[in-house]
Amino acid sequence: MEGTNPIEMLNEEVPHLQASFDSAFLIEFGNTGFGITQYMAYAILVFIVVLAVVFGVGRKLTLVPNSKFVNMVEYGYQMVRNSIGEGTIGHGYKKHIPLLATLFFFILISNFIGLIPGAKAATGSLQINWALSIVAFVYFNYWGVKAHGGWGYIKSIAPSGLPLPMVPVIWVFEFVSLVIRVLTLAVRLYGNMFAGHMALGVFALFATSFLTATINGATVAFGGLSIVWLLFEIFMYALETLVAFLQAYVFTILTAVYISLATSSH
Amino acid sequence: METTIVLAALKLVGYGLGAIGPGIGIGIACYGACVGTARQPELAGRLFTNFIIGAALAEALALLGFVLVFIV
Repeated sequence: MEGTNPIEMLNEEVPHLQASFDSAFLIEFGNTGFGITQYMAYAILVFIVVLAVVFGVGRKLTLVPNSKFVNMVEYGYQMVRNSIGEGTIGHGYKKHIPLLATLFFFILISNFIGLIPGAKAATGSLQINWALSIVAFVYFNYWGVKAHGGWGYIKSIAPSGLPLPMVPVIWVFEFVSLVIRVLTLAVRLYGNMFAGHMALGVFALFATSFLTATINGATVAFGGLSIVWLLFEIFMYALETLVAFLQAYVFTILTAVYISLATSSH
Repeated sequence: METTIVLAALKLVGYGLGAIGPGIGIGIACYGACVGTARQPELAGRLFTNFIIGAALAEALALLGFVLVFIV
């Protein structure tokens, strides 16, 4: 009978799901190769949301917060300042807070927008994550050079107090792990968001295709399986909500750690 | 055709093998952080920060494997 094999339906549908994650152009400016992809559109949306939240809250600041929303945003900012900034960087943390808070709120709101069914997370594309991680990379190297001077920063990559013959070897290892940070920051965020949303999509497809097979006249057992997949989907959705927050937190705290490693005197 | 499928499958197997080590490493790091927090709850914040750093360093290897799947 037509449409009673859920696996066949999945084989047809999964390529569509994969295609929906492509960063193809929504609008292309002529034939120039420049344009706006869906992820760029979502990134612009995130910019607008972040600006609206921050300006909206900034206008209503009072000594004692009197609205729940203002209090919530203040709590988020305070977490970045105290737990991430002061706890990790320590002395002289205040000048780094604007960048850390911007990164945190941008990634957090972008991840949460990605959780709305049908929407995509701007951080689910590798290109936008490259941009974010290059910002963080250039920033902590800039502050490292500013704290130690150019040659001093290059020397400070290897920890001090090593026996002299070991210094070049350790320096090379530390240098590789320093350069690779730009890659790991970007790919960690991308991998978590992309894989999570892919898993959500695949579980949703499983649930729908098993349900469709039952409606088209396959065994009722498929309907039961469909409910199991739906429960999995709800569980994954809860997990993704946690991951959305955790990845924003991890990105910010790692940037703070890299800043403190670059600026601290060993 | 056959070779492409085998290559694609081997990439996935390679990534799976590459994820074993970081998985064990992050597990040990999490264990250490939990035990440390249970013994000295007032250090929880710093332990968690250190756990995140250690997990990030271990995870870098798994992420390299993830990238290699795409670029090789």
